[in-house]
Amino acid sequence: MSGRAEPLLSVRDLRVGFATEGGLVQAADGVSFDLAPGEVLAIVGESGSGKSVTAQTIVGLTRSHNARIEGTVRLGDADLITANDDELQRVRGERIGMVFQDPMTSFNPVYRIGAQIAEAIRAHRPAVGRGEAREQAIALLDSVGIPEAARRVDDYPHQFSGGMRQRAMIAMALALEPEVLIADEPTTALDVTVQAQILALLERINRERGLATILITHDLGVVAEVADRVLVMHEGRIVERGSLDEVFYSAKDPYTRRLLDAVVRIDGAPPLRAARTSEPLLEVTDLVKHYPVRRGLLRREVDQVRAVDGVGFTLRQGETLGLVGESGCGKSTLCRAALQLIEPTSGSVRFEGREIAGLSRREMRPLRREMQIVFQDPYASLNPRKRVGQIVGDPLRLHGVSGGEARRRVLELLKRVGLSAEHYDRYPHEFSGGQRQRIGIARALALRPKLIVADEPVSALDVSIRAQILDLLAELQEDFGLTYLFVAHDIGVVRHVSDRIAVMNAGKIVEEGPADQVCERPSDPFTQKLLAAVPIPDPHEARARRQTVGSG
Amino acid sequence: MGAFVLRRLAGMAAVLFAVSVLTFLIFNVIPNSDPAQRMAGKSPTPQLVASITEEWGFDDSLPQQYLTMMGKIFSGDVISYQGQEDVDNRIVEGIPATFSLCIGAAVIWMFFGILFGYLSAVRAGGLLDKTLTIAAVAGISVPVFWLAAVLLNYLAYETGLFPAQGYVKLTEDPIDWAYHLILPWITVAVTLVGLYSRVLRSNMLDAMGEDYVRTARAKGLRERQVMSRHVLRNSLIGIVTLFGLDFGALIGGSAILTEAIFNLNGVGLYLYESIENLDLPPIMAIVLFGAFFVVLFNALVDIAYAYLDPRVKLGTEAQ
Repeated sequence: MSGRAEPLLSVRDLRVGFATEGGLVQAADGVSFDLAPGEVLAIVGESGSGKSVTAQTIVGLTRSHNARIEGTVRLGDADLITANDDELQRVRGERIGMVFQDPMTSFNPVYRIGAQIAEAIRAHRPAVGRGEAREQAIALLDSVGIPEAARRVDDYPHQFSGGMRQRAMIAMALALEPEVLIADEPTTALDVTVQAQILALLERINRERGLATILITHDLGVVAEVADRVLVMHEGRIVERGSLDEVFYSAKDPYTRRLLDAVVRIDGAPPLRAARTSEPLLEVTDLVKHYPVRRGLLRREVDQVRAVDGVGFTLRQGETLGLVGESGCGKSTLCRAALQLIEPTSGSVRFEGREIAGLSRREMRPLRREMQIVFQDPYASLNPRKRVGQIVGDPLRLHGVSGGEARRRVLELLKRVGLSAEHYDRYPHEFSGGQRQRIGIARALALRPKLIVADEPVSALDVSIRAQILDLLAELQEDFGLTYLFVAHDIGVVRHVSDRIAVMNAGKIVEEGPADQVCERPSDPFTQKLLAAVPIPDPHEARARRQTVGSG
Repeated sequence: MGAFVLRRLAGMAAVLFAVSVLTFLIFNVIPNSDPAQRMAGKSPTPQLVASITEEWGFDDSLPQQYLTMMGKIFSGDVISYQGQEDVDNRIVEGIPATFSLCIGAAVIWMFFGILFGYLSAVRAGGLLDKTLTIAAVAGISVPVFWLAAVLLNYLAYETGLFPAQGYVKLTEDPIDWAYHLILPWITVAVTLVGLYSRVLRSNMLDAMGEDYVRTARAKGLRERQVMSRHVLRNSLIGIVTLFGLDFGALIGGSAILTEAIFNLNGVGLYLYESIENLDLPPIMAIVLFGAFFVVLFNALVDIAYAYLDPRVKLGTEAQ
């Protein structure tokens, strides 16, 4: 194409502020950019940078009585900021399609997938009959790679897997052949392997249909895989803009460089660790957890779900074992069964040489202080009605440490995880995701445990925060001589922290070995698939890999 | 589905058994409840009391008496102590009035509860919402007996707009039937309209924050469609649960007071009289009748749930 194409969408000096009790919060503060036909524009930033607010304001989704919106958003001849509700409603779905972060909650659970897609079509084309809309929904689902679309069109959202739901969401956004697709963190809630598939799908759609796409993400790895141009947002402003290569290889803004540095790279050399020859702390042998499937009047067991199907590993004192696998592979069940939080069906678990499988709750109690968990979702796993001091101090009090002494130790812990004394009396909602995870870690540390099970401790966090939490975990391991069982779906993150890695698939461990060996010379095809899915935050390498994968 | 129904029937039998045993035992420990004494009238001769005791089997063991009574209730020949009426007949005669009261009131409270709740949620924070909130709180706070008395005084006795008493059969004169029931319906419905509109309002406000509502807007639905198809539809699931419990409880006994005040010749009024007379056979029969409906509507709620929320499957308990 010669010359510069007329921009499809043009955003000028967009300001979005929300009136709150604490005054006006300026979420987007003078954002300007153009979107050319057929390009993929990535908007990158951390949580709270204003990137989602910007995207949602384009189609008027942030309009509310406490929002103050200024600037212009020009789509063709129309200004979407001054457009009335009817005009906006005709733009949404018809000219601008949207895909959201969490495909689990973004579909209405009570309607069939096909009906929700048909609803989008019929909202704009009332002349299209129900049967015809359904046919179109089937064709759309088929085009985004849903197998047996004609049958799956009548499924409810909960019958789809996470990846399929996001495909269906994309199908719905494409239903009316919009000019612009806005994808707001489309892969953040997904496993790494599924993320790779969804990114490939978005790229294919962009290539085949020439659909201009705005991709919003916190993950620079994702950006390197698909974007043409990149905007970096920080505190409501655009701090860096340029082509993909410009932003990655010659970033001018210090914040952008910090974001780039924070990315955990699978191919970067992880810190070298001395081989551990210490005593085993946790030995798991032939662990099995089956859930019965019961049917009929007498609730007879007709089948079993083999969540954990004969797993064994040894965790030595002071080492980190990374347990990696996709959602539903049984890794969380394995952790819970190993810690006796759920009763294993069979198998042996030895902690410091002592058999703990089959111990009663009472017998387990004194051992509980030795083994603690850090959970995935720092938003859901902290009681919102308790103060931080109470959350962190509760384990102490439960095990008989009293008032003043408990307070002193909690303050010490807060300081140790990078929080301060003034946080003692605050509530969880006053903290960011990363800070909350620090609170969760402080709570796990309160009883000076020997073993910490970290169940997806960073997957709910921004990429830039992940590195900080991983570093903190590494420091604490050094200082307290902790042993970690580190569970994650992202083998890149796991490699960064683990001495050894165990790869789990369908209830079984398919490969286990030193981290370097598993990541560099994987023997199992499933491990290879996990490794190939990790996004590479480097445009050149991402391109090179895509070519080899594409030709292979 | 078949297994679900069978399990529910077994559960229902267990509940009815427990309820009937409890009622029976409570009656037998109430002081001055010896039915022979009461049937023999004032200052009876010991011989008369003895012969009544003998004749009615009051000297049998308690389990024996219980079994005899349950057998009679279910075979339809249970006789009340006072007046020796056929109890099951009286209940059947009372059903039209009770059902007319309950079903009519249910239609009113569901209609206005959902309407006011919807308007309140859609206009949250506005004048209409504030007005409806005050009205709802007032409605919830009003005691039934006071409301009934006020309605009767102003709309029946003083102005004569509505009849104060009695029940006219639907088959005889549908208009007169409704005319006689309007005040009782309002009496029952007011509290529930207030309650349901508040619950629906808060359910809808929660639902409005859901991601799927944002999706619905993003795909270009009109605001009215977003509200009715996505927000209201999903919020009604909770309302259906409440309705099943309230409606079962209403038939099962909550309507007693209203029936008594308006002299509606229904099951509740019969229960009220029987309790006053400490007349065990009708009390037992009506308690069973009420418990049956409470349990029945609980089961219907579960079925409705599986229909309204496809994630719920009948007969699979959560792990």
